[in-house]
Amino acid sequence: MLSFRILDLFIALLYLSGAISFLIGLIYSRKKVQDVSVSLTLTGFVLHSVDLGLKYALGLGEVLTQSQFYISLLAWTFLLMFLLLWWRLKLKFLSLIAAPLALLIFTWSLAISPATLPVPGLLQGLWFGLHIGSLFVSIALMAMAFGAGLAYVHLDRKIKSKSRLGNVARDLPSLSTFDRANHWAVFIGFPLFTLGTLAGFIWAAFTWRTIFTWDPKEIFTVGIWFMFAWLFHKRATGGWKGKKPAQLAILIFVLSLISFIGINFFTETHHSLRP
Amino acid sequence: MEHKIYLFGLNHKTAEVEIREKFALTGFNPVSRNLLEKDGPVVEALVLSTCNRVEILCVGTQAQEQVREKVLNTWSGFCGADPDLLSRHIYFYTDREAVRHLFSVAASLDSMVLGEPQILGQLKDAYRKSVEERSTGVIINRMLHKSFSSAKRTRTETAVSSSAVSISYAAVELAKKIFGDLNAHRAMLIGAGEMAELAALHLLNNGLKEILVANRTLERAVELARRFKGQSLCLEDIFKYLPQADIIISSTGASSAIIRAGDIRDVLRKRKHRPMFFIDIAVPRDIDPDVNQLDNVYLYDIDDLQEVVEENLAGRREEALKAAKIVDQEVDKFEKWLSSLDLSPTIVDLLSKGEDIALKEVKRSLRNLPQGDEQTRKIMEHLALSLVGKLYHEPIVFLKRRAQEEGSAEKFVDLARKIFNLDEEEIPDNAHIEKKRK
Repeated sequence: MLSFRILDLFIALLYLSGAISFLIGLIYSRKKVQDVSVSLTLTGFVLHSVDLGLKYALGLGEVLTQSQFYISLLAWTFLLMFLLLWWRLKLKFLSLIAAPLALLIFTWSLAISPATLPVPGLLQGLWFGLHIGSLFVSIALMAMAFGAGLAYVHLDRKIKSKSRLGNVARDLPSLSTFDRANHWAVFIGFPLFTLGTLAGFIWAAFTWRTIFTWDPKEIFTVGIWFMFAWLFHKRATGGWKGKKPAQLAILIFVLSLISFIGINFFTETHHSLRP
Repeated sequence: MEHKIYLFGLNHKTAEVEIREKFALTGFNPVSRNLLEKDGPVVEALVLSTCNRVEILCVGTQAQEQVREKVLNTWSGFCGADPDLLSRHIYFYTDREAVRHLFSVAASLDSMVLGEPQILGQLKDAYRKSVEERSTGVIINRMLHKSFSSAKRTRTETAVSSSAVSISYAAVELAKKIFGDLNAHRAMLIGAGEMAELAALHLLNNGLKEILVANRTLERAVELARRFKGQSLCLEDIFKYLPQADIIISSTGASSAIIRAGDIRDVLRKRKHRPMFFIDIAVPRDIDPDVNQLDNVYLYDIDDLQEVVEENLAGRREEALKAAKIVDQEVDKFEKWLSSLDLSPTIVDLLSKGEDIALKEVKRSLRNLPQGDEQTRKIMEHLALSLVGKLYHEPIVFLKRRAQEEGSAEKFVDLARKIFNLDEEEIPDNAHIEKKRK
């Protein structure tokens, strides 16, 4: 277990250096520093994959009942989505949001002591996996849309108000690139979010014999789902591009984060990850 | 005799265009024009002649006055003009100042439009030409290579050449910031005019897909469309085509706005809210300023673009200060090399003289040995040579350190050459007898 502790610390260190060096590279507009920073984060990601894989392989079943594992998995998913967007859109910029988020959530997973969750039955395991997996991917995509949205709003304001583009704004990709990131996040993220939520309800039906339990988490999630659906609809039917989807994506991610951290840890809910 | 670097020049700051034209050195060959002669005062030369500057960089081995006279006479002789007129307008730098000037020119810090990229290319051409004419040597070769690399450093480490400083480029830069790649986008040109056409041309050069040209007279539209390989249309049809246009450049002579926010709202709906970029070059303006209030629509008029250009220029001036620091560092490095240049022949002379003596002594000693075999010879040679190396090590280190710390070791190099008599001069027995008497 000690060797895992060391590996975890090393991964956190890589994410930390990746996050800080990217910020420095962006502020001083040094392309090389940014590249080094992305490689640091990438190395962290590879080790993180190994870490998760080993934990799963060694403690199969048992680790699936620990909140620590899921939080670590969420951090990993953030980076996976960042890599996807980086590969498809050349959006290296999102490392600015991905690396610190991964660092934050991963460190948090290290800080909490392993809590045990209700063990999913064999049959329900599928629904549970689907619930967790698709929701994590959609949240990670929204995190990327959040980063892209912040950059969009900033750049849009700069261009609209005709103020001078500073070093950072000058190095940013174009508005259309950020809008494409939003497009991806919405068109993949929303179906996954729907799937994940439904899978959760189905799992709940198997586990607690009731679909909706007026759990605060469930109410919050349904609220977010309606906003997400609105955004999806507006984008899909051709109404929205640019600023409005960017703003709504920011809102949706902030709410998801509140839901994930606030509700899972500070309220009485059966989504509790509290030790 | 030591080598000294000189730079003579005219530029847009010191001479008006008539003078620069009169003293242009296009096609001047320093070798065939006898600027470089055997035993003459100038041993290396490079000529740079552009519309904003005419410069001669050279390395001289004689007194400054002789070099100056030679250069100015050859220069004015080539142009068939009065040397006095020339000397009234030139600037003249030597050594460090000359190096710094050349490096600043290469980094475009001395250009009329600060940071413009052409000058580096012109300097490279001038250098290539002078290499072909064999008018450069060790010093100018190294100096030019270093000026290129320092220019590259200023360009990558500062933003001195990064932002647009003309209205049409500023428009292109903004379009790229909004749309990214332009190769899937169309522009519409409404009305014509020099600036609008220039902007259209820059957009096309940056990969724009197509240009639609609308004009009051259809013939003019057709003519422009042919030039830009685009589509022509009547002024009345613009609203029909606006949904296809991402970038709109307007410069009609209309007395009031021809495009209003209300019109654009419809257009946006048809475009599914894809962004639009309006560039209004007309005075009075063609496009209602309220258009800028719509989401995903950006409107810049001529004053806005002018302001962007002014800000970019101010930004370049700020960056130029950083660039000048980089140039200074590079000049320092070059000077260090220059001073070690004087040192290395002395070191070589010193060591080879020592080795000569050592080998001679080995030979003599071998003769005195009863049976000197190959092994003994090798050992003795090794002994003698390493003795020389060890003995001369300290003086060499001393010279190198002087050269590093004081920028030049000329006086010590001179002393060392005298102490070890490296120039093999015949010294009379009582050479300084007169000094003693005083």
